[in-house]
Amino acid sequence: MSDLILQTIVNAVYAASYMSLIAVGLVLIFGVMGVINFAHGELYMAGAYVVVALYAESGMPFLVAVVLGLVFVGLLGLLMEISLFRPLRDNPLGGLIASIGFLLILQTTAVLGFGVRMAHIPPPTQEKIELLNGVVLTHQRLLVIIASVALLSLLYLFLHRTKYGWAMRACAQDREAAALQGISLSQVSRLAMFIGAGLAGVAGALTAPLVSPTPYMGHSVIVTAFIIIIVGGIGQLEGAIVAAILYAFVHTFVTTFFDGVIADITGLLLMLMVLVIKPTGLFGAKDRV
Amino acid sequence: MLLELQDVHVHYNKVAALKGVSMSVPENGIVTIIGANGAGKTTTLRAISGLTRISSGEIRFNGERIDNLPPDKIVARGIAQVPEGRRIFPDLTVEENLRTGAFLRKEKSGIESDIQEVFGRFPRLAERRRQWAKTLSGGEQQMVAIGRALMSKPKLLLMDEPSMGLAPVIIQEIARIIKAIVKQGVPVVLVEQNAELALGLANFAYVLETGTVSIEGAATELHENEHVKRAYLGV
Ligand SMILES: Nc1ncnc2c1ncn2[C@@H]1O[C@H](COP(=O)(O)OP(=O)(O)OP(=O)(O)O)[C@@H](O)[C@H]1O
Ligand SMILES: [Mg+2]
Repeated sequence: MSDLILQTIVNAVYAASYMSLIAVGLVLIFGVMGVINFAHGELYMAGAYVVVALYAESGMPFLVAVVLGLVFVGLLGLLMEISLFRPLRDNPLGGLIASIGFLLILQTTAVLGFGVRMAHIPPPTQEKIELLNGVVLTHQRLLVIIASVALLSLLYLFLHRTKYGWAMRACAQDREAAALQGISLSQVSRLAMFIGAGLAGVAGALTAPLVSPTPYMGHSVIVTAFIIIIVGGIGQLEGAIVAAILYAFVHTFVTTFFDGVIADITGLLLMLMVLVIKPTGLFGAKDRV
Repeated sequence: MLLELQDVHVHYNKVAALKGVSMSVPENGIVTIIGANGAGKTTTLRAISGLTRISSGEIRFNGERIDNLPPDKIVARGIAQVPEGRRIFPDLTVEENLRTGAFLRKEKSGIESDIQEVFGRFPRLAERRRQWAKTLSGGEQQMVAIGRALMSKPKLLLMDEPSMGLAPVIIQEIARIIKAIVKQGVPVVLVEQNAELALGLANFAYVLETGTVSIEGAATELHENEHVKRAYLGV
């Protein structure tokens, strides 16, 4: 029994790591630009299909495909900013609807290019570590955990130690005041979209061999990401990470000891509970959205 | 003239907020804009900084058109603003707030010495440099907003109601700071509801009433003007 609990903890750490990547990207985009990117789940899906195309179908090394997944999806984010969000800057509802349009385009492209069936990806590595008797962590999952921690640490350093990092935090707190300091909102928005989308893409690319991608895999992910963001407090990066860990643990444990449907319901209940007790999220400021 | 507004109109969703405002700001001294709530003072400053688009007219800085440039380009030209309500970044430290003001500057050493200069000007901020800006008192937050604007090394400083919500002692301190800034050669456009304070500090004054300039003249003259006395000085 204690082995099962330990194994579940290991699984939850894995789930928390890639969910954090996705949720932090979404929060970053919302914080800096004030738009909710409904296509975020499909950016995750696009990252997975970069691995399908470059690694599974063309034989490129897995890690190279992952890096290209990050860059390619980051560029998709940039494209969204330039073609959709910027022209609709003064129209938040327009931005939201445009991102739904973009979601459909990405989905259709994946269906046309790769079909609706699950893509099979040969695992880059079959090795695993046996932590205790029977408790295993595959190298593939370990890679996801290490990459997530590394990327989130890099993001933290970027936000706190660099000039453009400050600029992004300033924009997230008060866009007009940031503009009055000479910070270009278009420049910072492009950066936020590249990083936010890139994080979703790299999450998809890293986990692709573990999940068997489909063009519709973004749906469940975006729902999860929204729950995490509401629990953590909209616009709070640290909140998103803590909430992702919390959610992953609750979800993984309930899935293991009951089943997946009950786990989904528990996740929603968790969100409702937070909304009732502290509507701004666990880490949300009182008077800021 | 350093800054000139010529027949500037601004509309918010078709409703006119400025209906042909013309103003000039010389290379030195303080120009004040006074007026009642909703007269268009903030709108005037927002239009100068590019936060609000103008629908017609011209704004020139050093003789060049700046109207409808994006705000960051206007800061790059040398116009800084201390906005209404201070608008400091609550979740940045005091020092980080100041550094955002230097966003467009390249020379590292100059930025460091200017940070020290701001801390010299506001010793209370030096003590609190690593504190979250949201934990500061109203007066200290106003100092952060002023220090932040100075960090861009502006050629012109716009200030929107720096006395708002502050105790009389703090207002006197802010007034002293404004005088010091002007003495160092940075001209100031001061928007104020506190007309007594504004007319005491300024060289020249404009009275804004429902989107138009109703009276303009030397500050000392306006201080004696019957209409100004009745409407804004409460005598
Ligand atoms: N974002 C906005 N949308 C619509 N109307 C606005 C907006 N901002 C200002 N207005 C209107 O424009 C007019 C001028 O407002 P402005 O804020 O410039 O006045 P003000 O002189 O700064 O007033 P106060 O002393 O209260 O700060 C007002 O009638 C106001 O209601
Ligand atoms: Mg105002």
